[in-house]
Amino acid sequence: MKKIPVDKVQDGMILFRDVCGPSGNILLSRGTVISSALGRRLKNWGITTITVEGKEDSTQEQKEVSVSEEELRNEMQGIFSGVTDNPIMKKIFIAAYHYRLHKTKQE
Amino acid sequence: MQQKKQIRQSLELISSIPTLPVVIEKLTRLLQNPQTSAEEIGKAITTDQALASKVLKLVNSAFYGFPGKISTITHAIVILGFSTVKNVVLTASIFDAFRKKGTGIEGFDLEHFWLHSIACGAAAQSIAKITGSNQKEECFIAGLVHDIGKIILCQHLPEEFHEAYVFAKENSILFFQSENALFDVTHQEIGGFLAERWNLPKDLQNAVKFHHAPSPTRDYYMMTAIVHCADILIRALNYGNGGDMKIPVMSDNVWKNLGMDSIPLSQLFEAINDEIEKASIFLQIT
Ligand SMILES: [Fe+2]
Ligand SMILES: [Fe+2]
Repeated sequence: MKKIPVDKVQDGMILFRDVCGPSGNILLSRGTVISSALGRRLKNWGITTITVEGKEDSTQEQKEVSVSEEELRNEMQGIFSGVTDNPIMKKIFIAAYHYRLHKTKQE
Repeated sequence: MQQKKQIRQSLELISSIPTLPVVIEKLTRLLQNPQTSAEEIGKAITTDQALASKVLKLVNSAFYGFPGKISTITHAIVILGFSTVKNVVLTASIFDAFRKKGTGIEGFDLEHFWLHSIACGAAAQSIAKITGSNQKEECFIAGLVHDIGKIILCQHLPEEFHEAYVFAKENSILFFQSENALFDVTHQEIGGFLAERWNLPKDLQNAVKFHHAPSPTRDYYMMTAIVHCADILIRALNYGNGGDMKIPVMSDNVWKNLGMDSIPLSQLFEAINDEIEKASIFLQIT
């Protein structure tokens, strides 16, 4: 397996690992044959690297890309700014925050 | 107060608004006749080869969850039933009508837009399921098209779209609030207008028109309520971006009427995520 940036995707590469969306759902499952066009699309979804079948080109290990707790909180607070006084919105905020945190930790 | 830009009329007059394939109309007609056979419907769909092959891909995907291979449209009808197949055709056609055309504008990414739309459809379907509605498939379509007015605006009046986009960003408000401040029309109305032209079912039309202002006094409230709720929940799950980075406030009435207080949110989020995962097939067929 090798980890590559999405803009280095070539036609015919095979996914070694599932590609997950922003909240941990699977967008493409392992084994899918991908194309460079699909690679560009993945970039639009905020995905920067994927793992495909084949040998690692370089020996250096790339770091896992993961969302930290703080990043998640900041992002959500931005979207929810001004509405968390509303009890329903507060409830949604808390539930979604915990759900997403749990999801990112699962990976 | 600044004068609002009058753009409603020019949007209503656009003649190049995407149309749905003729096969939809034909299907509606055929389905009204109880004598119609699966073969006849299959034949009607297969006259549009490209559409038929998309329909087959969809019915064989995890989204419809049928084990085993469905190799012909007629077979699909026998197994899934007329109404499901019609919904598949409708969904594929709507998607087709817009997918290829148009480019996004800076900051407004069409891929994000479609992910938001698909996620909203998936969430609406999950909410329908969990609240015991018998309109799961229709709710999916309603969620899929709820923001379609934005695409029309973006394609036909890109400058105005950009204006609304920037205004929303600068003032940190929702896209429809920005439209309200600048124009005489909103994406809900534009989308509703399209849904009318397309002859979509009335409940679907209303869900598009009123998803930001659901009112129990209006007809077909439940579907509108479900789409309103879905749009908000998926933004919390980061499937935002229909042109703003904010989340609308949930209507108290919707929350109450759907009985959301008795639904464990984490479980619903999980169900929504599963559904989105399956529905991402739509991004792969076009
Ligand atoms: Fe909207
Ligand atoms: Fe939306």
